[in-house]
Amino acid sequence: MRRALYIFLFVFLTGHLCRFGLPWWGIVPLGALAGWLLPLSAARSFGAAFAGGFLLWMLNAWLPDSANEGLLSAKTGQLFLGLKSGHLLLVTGILGGLLAGMGAVTGFFARELYVGSKSNP
Amino acid sequence: MRVFRFVLSLLVTTLLCWQLMVPQAAGDKKLPPIGSFFNPFSGFWKNAEPASGFYYGNPEIPGLRGRVQVVYDDLLVPHIFAESMEDAVRVQGYVTAQHRLWQMDIATRKASGRLSEVLGERTVAIDRLSRRRGMVFAAENDLKAWNRSPESSRMLEAYSAGVNAYIKNLSPADYPIEFKLLDYAPEPWSPLKTALVVEAMAENLCSRDDDLASTNALALFGKDTFDYLYPEWNPKQQPIIPDTGQWKNWQPAAAGAGQLSLNQSKNTDNQSIKPTPAFETDPYVEGSNNWAVAGSRTRSGHPLLANDPHLTLSLPSIWFQLQIHTPAQNCYGVSLQGVPGIIIGFNENIAWGVTNVSHDVSDWYRLQWADPGHNRYMVDGVAQDVVEKIEIIDIKGKEPLRDTVRYTVWGPVVYDFNPDHPLRDCALRWITHDEPEPGGSIVFMALNAGKNYDDYRKALAAYDCPAQNFVFATRSGDVAITVQGRYPVRAPQQGRFILDGSRQSDAWQGFVPAERVPAMKNLSRGFVFSANQNSTPPSYPYYYLGGFEDYRSREIFDRLDVLKNATVDSMKAIQLDNFSRRAADALPVMLALLDRSRLDAEGKKMADELAAWNFRYDADFTAPPLFDVWFDSCYDKTWDEMDRMESMLIPESWRTIELLEKDTASIFFDHPATTWRESARDIVNESFGLMQAYFRQNPQKRSSWGKFMGFTLKHLALIDAFSRMDVVVGGHRTAPNAMQKTHGPSWRMIVDLGDRVRGYGVFPGGQSGNPGSKFYDNMVDTWAKGAYYDLLFLGSAEEVSTRILGKQTFSPSPQ
Repeated sequence: MRRALYIFLFVFLTGHLCRFGLPWWGIVPLGALAGWLLPLSAARSFGAAFAGGFLLWMLNAWLPDSANEGLLSAKTGQLFLGLKSGHLLLVTGILGGLLAGMGAVTGFFARELYVGSKSNP
Repeated sequence: MRVFRFVLSLLVTTLLCWQLMVPQAAGDKKLPPIGSFFNPFSGFWKNAEPASGFYYGNPEIPGLRGRVQVVYDDLLVPHIFAESMEDAVRVQGYVTAQHRLWQMDIATRKASGRLSEVLGERTVAIDRLSRRRGMVFAAENDLKAWNRSPESSRMLEAYSAGVNAYIKNLSPADYPIEFKLLDYAPEPWSPLKTALVVEAMAENLCSRDDDLASTNALALFGKDTFDYLYPEWNPKQQPIIPDTGQWKNWQPAAAGAGQLSLNQSKNTDNQSIKPTPAFETDPYVEGSNNWAVAGSRTRSGHPLLANDPHLTLSLPSIWFQLQIHTPAQNCYGVSLQGVPGIIIGFNENIAWGVTNVSHDVSDWYRLQWADPGHNRYMVDGVAQDVVEKIEIIDIKGKEPLRDTVRYTVWGPVVYDFNPDHPLRDCALRWITHDEPEPGGSIVFMALNAGKNYDDYRKALAAYDCPAQNFVFATRSGDVAITVQGRYPVRAPQQGRFILDGSRQSDAWQGFVPAERVPAMKNLSRGFVFSANQNSTPPSYPYYYLGGFEDYRSREIFDRLDVLKNATVDSMKAIQLDNFSRRAADALPVMLALLDRSRLDAEGKKMADELAAWNFRYDADFTAPPLFDVWFDSCYDKTWDEMDRMESMLIPESWRTIELLEKDTASIFFDHPATTWRESARDIVNESFGLMQAYFRQNPQKRSSWGKFMGFTLKHLALIDAFSRMDVVVGGHRTAPNAMQKTHGPSWRMIVDLGDRVRGYGVFPGGQSGNPGSKFYDNMVDTWAKGAYYDLLFLGSAEEVSTRILGKQTFSPSPQ
């Protein structure tokens, strides 16, 4: 359980590096790194990293959105099949979560492959 | 197994990233790449500006000589306080870019035929035409001339550097949302782009001509019928400058110098009157009002000045409000994105405003090719080489389009890429291609600093295109108007029809001398005004032609003519006047011709409603839709024989009304297809029936004029989510409040030139270009209900006001 928390925190905290010019997909290798360094099961790696990525993206969208009183998200939602502000935040979170989660799973399997190839001569 | 699991997860992850990286589509709408757009660290969430508070930093920018303070008021109007005009202009560039960067980019892309680089194939035709009409050629000529004036060049460079100082500090996260949606990046500004903005305005305001349509009409009807259908002078016109004997002794030097080839059959090439594919021409929709009332007619004894330029309305707004304060001037008004200085406004001593001069300054010359490859053409029997300009139009996602444009002594051959186009062998002679006065780019800055009538005339002397009626008033009591521009000297009728490009004698005979351009000051009647009508009565010795307004000007004249003790409120009432002279002229005539005994109950009710109408286009009135549909049907039915031909000049509405009134038996009321000979009476009754049928089919259109007109305020890229589709307004293009579906008063300004100059103004939009800002459209509702803001005219950066939002301080950056 503790390891899941570490994955979550690792993704959430290092993900803020994206604020300093790391491209949006930077969260994928960060998730992979977490999945590699902090091995759990594939599903739990995914879940923990998903939660970290979800919160990272959602929170960083929600803060400006609430300061903006939802003005822009209401308009942008109309461009995306008429989504409401809240849905747009949810979509943003899910995207961040998926990217981090898939990164973590890939990292986990990569480690399995690497470590496994060593332990099974 | 392990390998498989790893490869599968890697594949899924890669696919996910790929899907988020490429542009998507929702239905027929293109969407940006989802990953970068939703990324909260650089995507659209970064454009969600805080709804309260002040969050502009204190930038250091290169090239500043001193510190510049920018005070923002509660409408987000920047008030710039600088030690010199050059510093002020540099900061103007910066703050304009700070609020309107994407608008600046897209406007110059449109003018230079570079939309397709970012929008793809759908704009290639627009780009191609911009290039072929010589827009960049014109802008380059502007710059060539402007650079001959050191001051002009310095100001343009300072403005550019200010814009670029802003762009340089941007990361992709800071780009305006439209860049993110369309997935491209801003590029540096340059003085050439300022010239392109000016040329876009010229294209908008002085590119109209009827040469082909008139040539066709003349060929079809012959001279007598042509003169009957298309008289050049409307006897009801109320020209801008009345004849007070001022031009009695003027002899246009060049009139009659050359024998024009007006009626030669080769110009009226029969081929061009056959139906040809439709080529889109914009209906003439741009207009404006301005006036100044002398102290003799105002309550305070000081002049009042008003201006409302009517343009295509869009979001972000075409105008950007601004105050510029330097030791030499204190000026407030509206500016154009990309152009230094204030275009319409006032300072502590004077006020001015503009309307478009509707002269035709673009002519077509039919070429006589000297070789089948169209590389040479004849002028007075001598073969001349065309100059080829290669245009390469880059298209997003496609191979570039290479196009060759031939330039002649007259100008570019615009349509020769299309063998079916009636103007394929014609070159465009357009005043805006000419080099302007070197001081042309600093005219407005000189006006901004002007103190009196002489300063105003001196500033205007360098202004040539697009020609504008500059109305003017001073605190000391002068009111004046100048029909300022550069106008070709023409022989009578020259330029009305396609000219002969093989004869030098068909060329323009020079330009009207500056001191003979129509102007007047302090007339005894106590007011000056303009509304795009004729500049002068026909007695003015220099022949000119164009598309002149026939209704607003008469209404404004009559209202000004009875003014006594006028106040700011009386000025507002005229700007918001929905009274249509066209309706007042036409409806009584049409009702008199209407045979009520043949109407059904519904028809009688409609006729009663029309008879009781006061000719006002108020938003909630129900009579105006009836009249407009009836009048339009009547107009179409009268000219139905011409309507079916392409590129045929249709008579003006005032002439149509005149015929309905005075020449009811005219052959043009007859439908050629029937054996019966119809008269005006038949047309009026037939079109009343069509009107009834229209509303039976579209009952929802009957509810009110506002709904019928269906006003929309569209985003420049036609993104509905960033548009305002819910605004209901009244007005009509034939009324002073010249509202149309997508056009209207783009800035209503009134200036009271009392002891302390006060300004009132509003535009349909907001100061910010960011759809995520509350300042994006915060003035729209105020504008729609006909209210105005008191413009905050500060005396100093330290002046205390409850309306101040915050301050931005600019310092020179260490180099």
